[in-house]
Amino acid sequence: MSLCASIDTLSMAYLDDELAAEERRELELHLVDCASCKLHLDAERADLQLLRVALVPPPAPDTVKAKIARALDSEDQRAARAGRKRWARYALPATAVAAAAAALLLFVGIGMKQPHTQAIATVTHEVVRQQTRPLPLEVQGASTGSWLREHFAPVEPPQFDEPGIQLIGARATAVQGHDAALLRYLVNVGINRVSLTAVLIVDVRQDMLNGGEAVRIGNLTLHLADADGQPVVTYVDDKRIGYVFTSERMTMKELLSIVVTSDLIGRAQQQLR
Amino acid sequence: MLAAREKRAEFERQALVHTDALYGAAYRLTRNPRDAEDLVQDALLRAYRFWDSFEQDSNCKAWLLRIVTNTFINEYQRKKRSREVLDAASAEQDATDGVLVHADASDRQTPERALLDRSVSDDVQRSLDALPDDFRTAVVLCDVQGLSYKEIAEIMHTPVGTVMSRLFRGRKLLAAALREFATTQGYVRDEAPKPGETADPKDKTIDLDAYRAQKSREGSS
Repeated sequence: MSLCASIDTLSMAYLDDELAAEERRELELHLVDCASCKLHLDAERADLQLLRVALVPPPAPDTVKAKIARALDSEDQRAARAGRKRWARYALPATAVAAAAAALLLFVGIGMKQPHTQAIATVTHEVVRQQTRPLPLEVQGASTGSWLREHFAPVEPPQFDEPGIQLIGARATAVQGHDAALLRYLVNVGINRVSLTAVLIVDVRQDMLNGGEAVRIGNLTLHLADADGQPVVTYVDDKRIGYVFTSERMTMKELLSIVVTSDLIGRAQQQLR
Repeated sequence: MLAAREKRAEFERQALVHTDALYGAAYRLTRNPRDAEDLVQDALLRAYRFWDSFEQDSNCKAWLLRIVTNTFINEYQRKKRSREVLDAASAEQDATDGVLVHADASDRQTPERALLDRSVSDDVQRSLDALPDDFRTAVVLCDVQGLSYKEIAEIMHTPVGTVMSRLFRGRKLLAAALREFATTQGYVRDEAPKPGETADPKDKTIDLDAYRAQKSREGSS
């Protein structure tokens, strides 16, 4: 067969060093005889060299390296704190743990020293504890939405309009005497699929999930808190449904960036109209 | 505690030595030093958190590049959108009572940052801007980072053939854009297109597997 017909493919693979030894030899032999293919390959080589020189990026600025070191420092602190709290959970009765955690949170000021920082709500703590329990989901996959509507009307699962976030299932639970649904999502975070939990609590007071730092986005007031080294975002809508989002393996920044892309913002705006 | 300190030291020794390379990839992928900073920082933090899932003795740089690329592919658009929402909210709040809205105030645009963003938008970056994300990713992984077709295919979850055609078309578009900038800046003379270059690179078939298949058919007949 004529190598000329495939010269685009062959010259590219040749220059990228992707040809097998035999293919390479065959092409090199062909180039001795075929001036047009030789010309083509030389031109491609020159273009590629120019391109690669043009694409050489600048080195990372020192400020970036310093920032990374600081980010790793706070990750070390977060992990140490989470480790200590996990141990304490087994060692002390639940109420003492909650009180200790609240005191600790007040003490560290959630690492941000916000004037509006408050102690994390007991309800929020209860939710964070619950979501670590390895209980099976009652419903999975596509029927989760209808299961939720049937048992928890008028609760609707928060929707995320991107393919990287998938609702995998739910189970019924109770939080401090309130009926609640625990929803489990999987989120693409880097190369990992990370679990995100949303607990929807029926008939809660507006201030029941307060605590941490209040953040207003449009008509939506979210509360950001840190529970046992784990980020929590809470919200209560005008139907007195409380939403608690949390994930063991996300940072607050990651969690918040996901929550604000849900349809809660759109719903809050509709309620106003 | 000791284990934590060892983990950090090991991560610094094996992963942080690639910071420049990762920043380079992030810089070419996002085309903007501010986003590159965020991307490389997020990716390294993530790598650190999942360090126990890194298989020692495998290629650490390729593993880290995979995290950078996937973070870019999966989350760049999500982050961009959430930043828009948060920026709008923070502008609104600043105008009312001045209470801090965004937990990470450093994310917000400052005049210095705006200037920085502008000053580096050179010809190369502008040429890269014009490329579809998939093409740019393939070109960055191959021509900036020197990964093989197979490694790129694994990162991008596509067959090697798709990598080759993205690479081929991405390079052609980039070379044409660079030539155009160079010509308008007077760096090179305006030459007639080379033979074979007039055709749209879309119309060309780049398929090493097809070539090999045809070859083995011919060999056996």
